[in-house]
Amino acid sequence: MAKRLMKGNEAIGEAAICAGARNYFAYPITPQSEVAEYLCWRLPEVGGIFVQAESEVAVGNMLFGAAASGKRVFTTSSSPGISLMQEAISYMAGAHLPAVILNIMRGGPGLGGILPSQSDYFQATKTGGHGDYRVIVLAPSSVQEAVDLMILAFDLADKYRNPVMMIGDGMIGQMMESVEFPEKYREPNKPEESGWALTGAKGRDSRIIKSLFLDPEKLEENNLLLAEKCKKFMANEIRHELYKVSDRNRILIAAYGTMARICQTAIDELEAEGVSVGLFRPISLFPFPEKVIHDEAVKKNIEKVLTVEMSVGQMVEDIERCVQGRKPVEFYGRTGGIVPTPNEVKGKVRELLKLTA
Amino acid sequence: MAGTAGDCYPSFSKRIIALVGGFGSGKTEVSINLAKYLVRSHNFPVTLVDLDLVNPYFRSREAITEMETLGVELIAPRGGKFYADLPILLPQVRGLIEGHEGMLILDVGGDAQGTRALGSMSGIFPQGKYEMLMVLNSRRPQTFDVVGCIKTMDRIAHSSKLRFTGLISNTHLIDETDEEILLEGFHLAREVSRESGLPVVFVSAKRGILDRMDTAIFGCPVLPLDRSLLKPWELKENQDRNQPNNRKG
Repeated sequence: MAKRLMKGNEAIGEAAICAGARNYFAYPITPQSEVAEYLCWRLPEVGGIFVQAESEVAVGNMLFGAAASGKRVFTTSSSPGISLMQEAISYMAGAHLPAVILNIMRGGPGLGGILPSQSDYFQATKTGGHGDYRVIVLAPSSVQEAVDLMILAFDLADKYRNPVMMIGDGMIGQMMESVEFPEKYREPNKPEESGWALTGAKGRDSRIIKSLFLDPEKLEENNLLLAEKCKKFMANEIRHELYKVSDRNRILIAAYGTMARICQTAIDELEAEGVSVGLFRPISLFPFPEKVIHDEAVKKNIEKVLTVEMSVGQMVEDIERCVQGRKPVEFYGRTGGIVPTPNEVKGKVRELLKLTA
Repeated sequence: MAGTAGDCYPSFSKRIIALVGGFGSGKTEVSINLAKYLVRSHNFPVTLVDLDLVNPYFRSREAITEMETLGVELIAPRGGKFYADLPILLPQVRGLIEGHEGMLILDVGGDAQGTRALGSMSGIFPQGKYEMLMVLNSRRPQTFDVVGCIKTMDRIAHSSKLRFTGLISNTHLIDETDEEILLEGFHLAREVSRESGLPVVFVSAKRGILDRMDTAIFGCPVLPLDRSLLKPWELKENQDRNQPNNRKG
């Protein structure tokens, strides 16, 4: 298929169809609304449905119900809307239901603004809802990667029967980039083959899908099952990328999403000035590539680790945790929808190395 | 022999140029570049109206500093509403359409939803004194063939309540655009032209590609584009961001 030019939000919608998902529930919010705008005409073409709910709270509960039927389900929203869905995400995790949730992040807290941000890192990776559960969190840095990870997200959700989130700053949703889809689109999955979904109990024992366990032994059993899943995420689902990492690096930058691309530009330009900097980009924010960042950071040539985010500092806490105090961990970030420029990143690197421009 | 891009720039006998098209056809970059070209080469005032009431990012208002430096007046909400995703139609736009001075470029939001803003003002457009140009990009999902283009144009004509006067061939994949993609798009534009009876008013593409080509083959004017709305990682060597973050409205 020829390369097409697509807005991130549209491409993500098409990726869900490509993954065989046909059940979509959402409520519009900038900067994510084009996913719904795209899918409201595109889903009917492939026999799918889009229900625009009355609120994101309703979206969450629709997801829960539809997921229980074993079909691939998903929603998309932006920061304030994702906050409203947290209760349902906790319920789905507790009930072992697969679902894919996209957060195209905007500046917060509260209603905040509509420009790009990465300030929902804590909410996504440390779980925004209550209880002992975790969700897999994927963070693309380009429209093509958003397509690839969206398809993967459905597979991971099914594999672990657990909600999977993909998070991108507003830029991921709003920017246009060239993109290619797999030649072969998946057929919708078959819930009757799942072994757990509510498909009608004719000819078999009935099934109950719930997150309520009044017996403490049973509830602990469920929590331990969720903890087991979490161990499997850590063992099997770590994804990351390194850029220009070498034994000449003086600084190791940690950044994810489009922020990593800005850092790449800064790294290229610093290289031309004779300053060697490498980049660690986590693609799975949970499970976090703990060992990778630790092992890269402790290398002799690395003087400092610099975390760059569109927030006042969230992922930096994971970086500090993984580096275990063995190297100084510094931070640079902008918020409110202001995206750090390559120039600002370069300035911070020079400051850390006490270099003059 | 390869002609130098811009040997044959577009010229207009009409005062108002409304650029419409599907989402992502490239209306904004074409509008900004057209404004830049017109203000540099002519002695009349040029006004660019950001009439994009549907997109929250990558609107022509982001080029406000560049436009004002060049002497183009840019009409867009100011102050706190500069970044709003509300459909704000400024009152002075009507006055500008009814006016008589200089060139007026309207960068209209994408698709039929975006052109609704024009529809609300269609009654004041002076008959025969405006161009409404369809910006075509064959690499966009809804306008990759003649049927898709005509459908999109029908929807836009319906919601804008205005008549098309021409086409702009602006097929691109941003920085991955090459000669082949450009020609593929031009051929589609010609087919749409045959089908609709509208002329291809000009071909627009990145300057670098046009410089390598014999632009005479198009048989119509050519507008070379220099990208204005860069993504943050495309800002090179100490360039600052487009967004006038600290701007006072």
